[in-house]
Amino acid sequence: MKVRRWSKEAPWHILLILTAVLSLLPFIWMLATAFKPEPEIFAGGLNPLPAVPTLANFRFVMERVPLFRYFANTLLAAVLITGLKMVTSILAAYGFTRFRFRGREFIFYLCLVSIFVPVQVTMLPNYLLISHLGWLNSFAGLVIPQLADAMGIFLLRQSIRTVPVSLFEAARIDGAGHLAVLRRVLLPAIKPAVVALAILFFINAWNEYYWPLLVLNDKSMYTLPLALQMFTNQEGGTAWGVMMAAASLTALPPLVVYLLTQRYVVDSFINSGLKG
Amino acid sequence: MRRFIPLVFIAPALFLIVLFTFWPVLSTLHLSFLQWNMISPRARWEGPGNYLSLLTGREFWLAGYNTLVYTVILLVFNLVLPYLVAYAVTRVPPRRQTPYKALIFAPGVISLAVASVIFLWLYNPVLGPVDILLRHLGLGAPAWLTGYRTVIWALSLITTWKLFGYNFIVLLAGLVAVPRELIQAAQLEGASGWQIFWHIIRPQTSATSLYVLVMTVVWGAQYVFVPIQMLTNGGPDYASTNLVFLIYQYGFGFFQAGKAAACAVLTLLVFLVLILLQARVLEKKVYYED
Repeated sequence: MKVRRWSKEAPWHILLILTAVLSLLPFIWMLATAFKPEPEIFAGGLNPLPAVPTLANFRFVMERVPLFRYFANTLLAAVLITGLKMVTSILAAYGFTRFRFRGREFIFYLCLVSIFVPVQVTMLPNYLLISHLGWLNSFAGLVIPQLADAMGIFLLRQSIRTVPVSLFEAARIDGAGHLAVLRRVLLPAIKPAVVALAILFFINAWNEYYWPLLVLNDKSMYTLPLALQMFTNQEGGTAWGVMMAAASLTALPPLVVYLLTQRYVVDSFINSGLKG
Repeated sequence: MRRFIPLVFIAPALFLIVLFTFWPVLSTLHLSFLQWNMISPRARWEGPGNYLSLLTGREFWLAGYNTLVYTVILLVFNLVLPYLVAYAVTRVPPRRQTPYKALIFAPGVISLAVASVIFLWLYNPVLGPVDILLRHLGLGAPAWLTGYRTVIWALSLITTWKLFGYNFIVLLAGLVAVPRELIQAAQLEGASGWQIFWHIIRPQTSATSLYVLVMTVVWGAQYVFVPIQMLTNGGPDYASTNLVFLIYQYGFGFFQAGKAAACAVLTLLVFLVLILLQARVLEKKVYYED
């Protein structure tokens, strides 16, 4: 019986193991190369693991670029974007679910459409607006255009709709204002969805490349993903170990966040309304 | 007064969405009829001139064709394959699913900029592991990023690696939501695994698949922009330029705001059909679900 089940499952496992290995291999090469001394890299070969691990590449990155500054820039922008985007999304999701008003469906539909408006259509005017406001190379210009997200509103709205209406009404009868209901009743009830969304917002904000590329050209304002381009041009073209060390440092924070919250994120992703 | 309370809640998000998404669409439309270098205080009315010069030039058609090639590749690698892998996950017992889900989703959390840099190393024609492996197998390795025929494949694979896990999870969510009773009923009637897949699972997950399809088409063009900008700059000779990169290049490389905007409008028109279709399906799903 057991053998029969295994033979039935085996082909699926083979496919899944293959996919998992292909997903991980580039990470392994990145990390391993970052710890390899230069002669070992130039010797070639297919063994990703360094024979004599070294930190020289990381030290070199820190000498070459103001790493802590870039780290701080990226962290600050990502935290600001995550926090404020959560606020606008939660408020809007509450507004769309707990009130009836004329034009509600139309406005919600409008927000939904915005998810699908491609960035290329909006980037020129947005760049011109930020430039006109004198916000190029500033946190304001980097952060403010990224503070609303219709997908976040959509997902939170789906979660709020699973909360029994009686819970809200009881609190309202007790005389609680909307903000108090939101804080004391709603947020605890949908906490898993809120936390998962915040994690995803943070990871996406950390990784953002497109918008920083447009509004930041002062090197002291760079974020880590943007700083990586300095290692792909001639200056650092062949220093593979250094390039991989910089890439590892950029990838590390989102990877750590993901490893710590992995079960939570993946499962709430699957259980969230993201079934479209 | 009470009438305005809901607006207070919606206003911050709505204001930002209108200001940074909808107003720019109209502004792009206006820009597309101007000739302007983004610096001089005055712009000249150009009429349909930008559109004519785009449609009669070579770059726009090349970039359009390349965008189509990217899209087809991404649809196979980021819709069909993850669907198959997600289906595979549902075929193994729940307690063995977790590590697969966690590992396959992992590349989704890192930046496309990091992915681009990793693959620049992997593709390196002398020392890169991909080429060494191919040489060991006795195969000649192509010049991935500098060859006309390979560059789109090479850049698409970078995007695929990063996006696969995300689409996989979304598709898995759709597969998990298929009612068990439907499948059990079919099993009782003696339907084969393939019949159940084709007649029950596939149609039951069509809304999810459509969502991933539209996302892959619309966002795919944006995502491949990162490796294009970082690794090839659209080259060699426009061989890897897609429409998004062309808009960026007209705007921020050549300072031809009008031409960039016209290109953006034409791109939007192509995507518009898909976008509206998707929004309708999403809306239906939202309102008739419960």
